Amino acid sequence: MKSILSSLLLGMSMALAAGGAIAKDVELLNVSYDPTRELYQDVNQAFAAQWKQQTGENVKIRSSHGGSGKQARSVIDGLEADVVTLALAADIDAIADKGKLLPANWQSRLPNNSAPYTSTIVLLVRKGNPKGIKDWGDLAKPGVAVITPNPKTSGGARWNYLAAWVWASQQYHDAPKVLDYMGRLFHNVPVLDTGARGATTTFVERGIGDVLVAWENEALLTLAEPDNRGKFEIVVPSISIRAEPPVAWVDKNVERHGTRKQAEAYLRFLYSPEGQRLIAKHFFRPADPKSVPASELAIFPQVKQVTIDSAFGGWKKAQAQHFADGGYFDKIYQPDH
Amino acid sequence: MPLPRSALALALAIATTPALAADNVTVEDLARRLKALELRLGTAETPSTTETTNSVADLDQRLRVIERKLELQAEADAARTASTPVVTMGEKGLSVKSAPPGDFEMKFRGLVQADGRFWFDDSQVPQADTFLLRRVEPTIEGTWGSLIGYRLTAQLAGDAATINDAYVDLKFDPRATVRMGKTKTPVGLERLQSSASTEQVENGFPSELAPGRDIGVQLQGEFPTGGTSYVLGVYNGTPDGRDGLSTNPDNDFELVGRLFFEPWKNDANALSGLGFGIAGSTGDKEGLGNNYLPRYRTPGQVQFFGYRSDVVADGEHTRWSPQAYFYHGRFGLLGEYISSYQHLFSPSSGVEASLDNRAWQLSGGVVLTGEDNSYRGVTRPNHPFTTDGTGWGAFELVARYGRLDIDEDAFPLFADPAVAVAGAQSWSLGVNWYLTSNFKLVADYNQTSFDAAPNGLEREDEKVFLTRAQFSF
Repeated sequence: MKSILSSLLLGMSMALAAGGAIAKDVELLNVSYDPTRELYQDVNQAFAAQWKQQTGENVKIRSSHGGSGKQARSVIDGLEADVVTLALAADIDAIADKGKLLPANWQSRLPNNSAPYTSTIVLLVRKGNPKGIKDWGDLAKPGVAVITPNPKTSGGARWNYLAAWVWASQQYHDAPKVLDYMGRLFHNVPVLDTGARGATTTFVERGIGDVLVAWENEALLTLAEPDNRGKFEIVVPSISIRAEPPVAWVDKNVERHGTRKQAEAYLRFLYSPEGQRLIAKHFFRPADPKSVPASELAIFPQVKQVTIDSAFGGWKKAQAQHFADGGYFDKIYQPDH
Repeated sequence: MPLPRSALALALAIATTPALAADNVTVEDLARRLKALELRLGTAETPSTTETTNSVADLDQRLRVIERKLELQAEADAARTASTPVVTMGEKGLSVKSAPPGDFEMKFRGLVQADGRFWFDDSQVPQADTFLLRRVEPTIEGTWGSLIGYRLTAQLAGDAATINDAYVDLKFDPRATVRMGKTKTPVGLERLQSSASTEQVENGFPSELAPGRDIGVQLQGEFPTGGTSYVLGVYNGTPDGRDGLSTNPDNDFELVGRLFFEPWKNDANALSGLGFGIAGSTGDKEGLGNNYLPRYRTPGQVQFFGYRSDVVADGEHTRWSPQAYFYHGRFGLLGEYISSYQHLFSPSSGVEASLDNRAWQLSGGVVLTGEDNSYRGVTRPNHPFTTDGTGWGAFELVARYGRLDIDEDAFPLFADPAVAVAGAQSWSLGVNWYLTSNFKLVADYNQTSFDAAPNGLEREDEKVFLTRAQFSF
């Protein structure tokens, strides 16, 4: 009987092992923020081709896009991202802190603080700039409708907010006046979308508002759309913020999926010359401009920029002061005002 | 200059309102009504309204803002719906399913069977007419992710609550699922049928030889082509017709296998309801008493055979059972045969023997009201019972004949001919009234006659009328 039992268990084990040994294509899930849809469509295709050539392995990358904060929340709640490519480091910090899915030092694992591209915040207005918007101060004037997404859910919105704050700080040098300015600016926001792409839709497709506070790449993409030619123009503000959207592989998930090697290679591909050119093609500023022909960088205007570290002491501090519950944003913006 | 689209829409909407004639509408009227709409929808006051000029362009912006906010609200509602668990309550019980893809599900189901047993001509072996709760089984089952399935069924009908089913499935593939825990041992065809679906109140003789529920691990699966399913498992081991204990009493396991074919299951032809297969079990049993040796019962649940009290199970116990069913339209047939072969030792006589007890049955039913018959019973009457007389539910006539034969070598050393009989045959007729999908009434008449052992007891026929009210969901 014991030998029968052993044979049975052996048979079961072999059957299960055989089932598990069926080869599968590798699949990665990239959880990203709103305006990177077009960028990662190209990156996914290019990386898959390169990986196939280098290793013979088929890799399929699925991308999920939405407000950066919401996307981070989804990963914390169980969305099994192999890599996250979000709008700001605070969102990946949240995945590390609350989800314990990657180490706290994740930002030091890839070059440039794990930011393979940067962008900045600009103002997109309707052709002819009918409201005469030239700088951040004009956004708080009566009668100006400003479109920007909700900083509680959108990483891009937080960059927008902080860029306006930087200008106001330099303009007023007085905290109450800065808060008053920010309050007036958000009083002028008729619709708070949850993500940057939604805000673009509100402004461009639904025709609402006088000015869209936008990622530079989103503004350039809008201008590049054939349907939008001649309808909009970019206003470069006197100062803006250098947005550094970071990327990271999610250790716990890649361990579970057995995809660490592919996930890491996927992110390193972004730093390669081919990846950097794709980044510039989609209007993000390459972290290594030298790897991209100058002609492909000419589209980017000169913008005076500060960094999150120099102006706010880093993302963790900015997040806590401005966007945490009870922070400055809650003080200046009441949804029912 | 043409009006913007939304302003036109607004103007048109207002123009069709009977309260105002179109030629009396002013921009101020529109502004007032738009303001009322904004307040009604709870939309935030826009900057334009604060410094309103009530120009058409201003009204257009305000209308666009409302439209966009409604659009965003609809998107948020859709997203919330997509991430909200789905709760359903219906004929099949309560179900809570996680948001799409719905990998997590918990279903609450239940079965209550309230029986009545009434005996006739029982002077030799008197039985008490009785009402009883035959089964009270709450069940929680479902999936926990794409890999895990589970089922927990309690049995509350006895004097003490017990666990009927408690197992976890690891669903690697439809062709390979590993089930661990307590479940029905896959041998007897009628025993494997859901208790709520059996045609008659009590099972026939083959179920007395087949193992009951037991604890173990099994590999099971279905192959989509050819309609083939299999189970291969190892369990603690049970005596014939009974559930296993909570632990293995004898350090020996029982190996069980079943192969079942439904070749035309997915075809629309006369044989689509045909299923046939073979099942078997083998293992050693070594011990004395009810945990090892059988006590066979009639369909009235009265014992008519048992071994002598000092007889010991002393080695191989093997069962095999060819089985089949055939359902076509309103007709259903189920047949099975089972042999249970057990090596025994009688200490008082010093004799060893391998005895082979056998049973078979053929049962059938016809649904008078035309509903489809199936292994799962009549699942849904065409016209459920209503109090106004427009529906009477479904009616089914059922019949069964079966035999159980004790190995003739059992007497007299292993079984006492004065109390045990050498065989029994039973026939029954019954009617099932499916008032709704969830409630049925059953009435069966069973008559069992017995074959006396050599020089043994001539036992009178057993005549019993069994009734059941069953509520299941």
